[in-house]
Amino acid sequence: MATYAEMQQIFDDIRGDFRYDHELNGCLNCGICTATCPSAQFYDYSPREIVQLLWTENVEQIYDAMQEKIWACAQCMTCAARCPFKNSPGGLVAIMREVAIKHEMQSAKDVLRPFGRVMLKLITTGNQLSPDMIQPDHFPDWGPNIQKVEGDLRILRKAIPVKTLQTVETAWEVSLKTSVEMYTIWEMTGVLKSLELMDENLFDVIEDFIDEKREDYEEWLEEQEEDDD
Amino acid sequence: MSDQTPGNHNQSAAGAGAGTMKPGFHNTDGQGVAGHGSFFQATDLSREDAIKATDWVRKHVDRRTIDLGDRMDDIREHMYELEKDGQIIIHRIGDQHEPATVKTLFGWEKKIPTKQLWHHKSCGQCGNIPGYPTSLLWFMNKFGFVPGKDYLDETDQTSCTAWNYHGSGIGNVESLAAVFLRNFHQSYVSGKQHGHELGHFFPLVHCGTSFGNYKEIRKYLVESAELREKVTKILGKLGRLVDGKLVIPEEIIHYSEWVHVMRDRIASELQTIDVSNIRTTAHVACHYYKMVHEDAIYDPDVLGGNRTAIITSTAKALGAQVIDYSTWYDCCGFGFRHIISEREFTRSFTMDRKIRVVREEANADVLLANDTGCVTTMDKNQWIGKAHEQNFQVPIMAEVQFAALACGADPFKIVQLQWHASPCEDLVEKMGISWDEAKKNFQAYLKEVEAGNIEYLYNPELAYGGKA
Repeated sequence: MATYAEMQQIFDDIRGDFRYDHELNGCLNCGICTATCPSAQFYDYSPREIVQLLWTENVEQIYDAMQEKIWACAQCMTCAARCPFKNSPGGLVAIMREVAIKHEMQSAKDVLRPFGRVMLKLITTGNQLSPDMIQPDHFPDWGPNIQKVEGDLRILRKAIPVKTLQTVETAWEVSLKTSVEMYTIWEMTGVLKSLELMDENLFDVIEDFIDEKREDYEEWLEEQEEDDD
Repeated sequence: MSDQTPGNHNQSAAGAGAGTMKPGFHNTDGQGVAGHGSFFQATDLSREDAIKATDWVRKHVDRRTIDLGDRMDDIREHMYELEKDGQIIIHRIGDQHEPATVKTLFGWEKKIPTKQLWHHKSCGQCGNIPGYPTSLLWFMNKFGFVPGKDYLDETDQTSCTAWNYHGSGIGNVESLAAVFLRNFHQSYVSGKQHGHELGHFFPLVHCGTSFGNYKEIRKYLVESAELREKVTKILGKLGRLVDGKLVIPEEIIHYSEWVHVMRDRIASELQTIDVSNIRTTAHVACHYYKMVHEDAIYDPDVLGGNRTAIITSTAKALGAQVIDYSTWYDCCGFGFRHIISEREFTRSFTMDRKIRVVREEANADVLLANDTGCVTTMDKNQWIGKAHEQNFQVPIMAEVQFAALACGADPFKIVQLQWHASPCEDLVEKMGISWDEAKKNFQAYLKEVEAGNIEYLYNPELAYGGKA
């Protein structure tokens, strides 16, 4: 349990985000946001409650809501489209999630652990999903008829008449130069740091991968120079 | 259904069945205008005056004529000011892009380029539903577009990374903005290696979430000098500035907007199959019209202009039946992280609020969508419904895939329906196409693929900067 000062700091970080004033403009408690919210139908979650807690600056209950509730939001942004005050409860939740990660909340670590596969794919390849992830072994609840033609995944992918899509480990072929540029973005914007706070093991794996790709790129550049000479 | 939507009649309110109105929503007892308390009284207007008064109200509440004042800014105006001040470069849509002009929610105009397009792919579509991009490229070829001149698909692009952001909170506005600017800078300069000028190819965003995210980020970039300063440093390090400036596109364009403006040409020039017997329903992606909603396309001739025109406009142009259902506004249940690690929510929501309703209320032959997560969620989660006595099945695909089928595209080679789990074969058969024969041909083609005889929609060298 955090101290009151820590909870206050968490709230200060939330309202310190420059998007905060875009996303929160007042609240009539009308509840349109919750009425249209898919998550509110299945979880103990209400976008109206999130807005009210922030609007009334209830730092203790904001902290409490950040344990589980904010992770129920499906980020569809239906709430934002409906709100007569032009609030974006979904946008506020996004800010709160970032702050939960920054403060290394255990609840955030627990929630994100099963999502590691997507984060690994994204950070290393720039794609968030790949054909080899969408396989019956990974999704037994999608049934035995997950696709309509049986066969070797590589051959099935080669039967897509677009060269960039004939891949298995990424959704499309991303050039090495593009990937290396993306790693720079991750580093300069603190994304890798956030990842390290959440999952040190995953961070180590990703760091090794990035180092390897950068070496590959350097070698490729040297080869190009030699060819030019 | 008629073009008048049921939104005013609150058909989805609990207990309100056909022909009934919930109290408070509609004054149907002929006792006068709606109001409250003892002050309520009938107007006693003549029929003519009542019509006049109603017309006045209708005119003034029509979102397309309303004066928004300070409540709603058109971010593009601020973009043009920034360009004038020399702070940014706007990637303009010019005559060479052969734009069509459409109206958005508040009646603002939006230019949709129809040619010289840079395909900004979707990781979910390419990884899981490749029939989206293949159908789209197939249409461009059918219109005689020249790859490398009229469109470009290349390896120098990342995803928008917003799926991860919305799912995990790993990432931030800066990283999303830097990715946006990097990809769109590449679009701006991509023509050079093919002998064209800067700005030749305009980005066409395939993914609904990328579309919503990029528009949101563009807004922040235009509004925040601090954000621009931060990302300028990053883009400078990447060598992704032009004359030291950030490049921001004039419009963010979704592929379904291209399909929307091309729908009449698709129907008149390419359609070969009569689909008037097909009952279609539509699920428009939340991130298409609920994020930066002022930018979504609305058309008074489609659903009375009360819902975004996308998808329905294409189904109508093809001559299919458009059937309504009460939960049309609901999200699909994708949830970004939920479909991976909170699947009870995703599959329960999509079965209960979308598939069941589309089956029971609309008896649809197909549910058409325009985004990645929606198709994946609604397509893949039908089988498990049997475990909860919800044995409802509906074919799910993108409107561009349906349009391609109606224009004679191969269900496997082009529309790539082999990756779908929902019963798309039922729709294909109802359209008069033999599923079994098409499948047999495709299986024979797979042998050819194995032997290295692969058919392409464009010369593969183009993807790596080579010539067409």
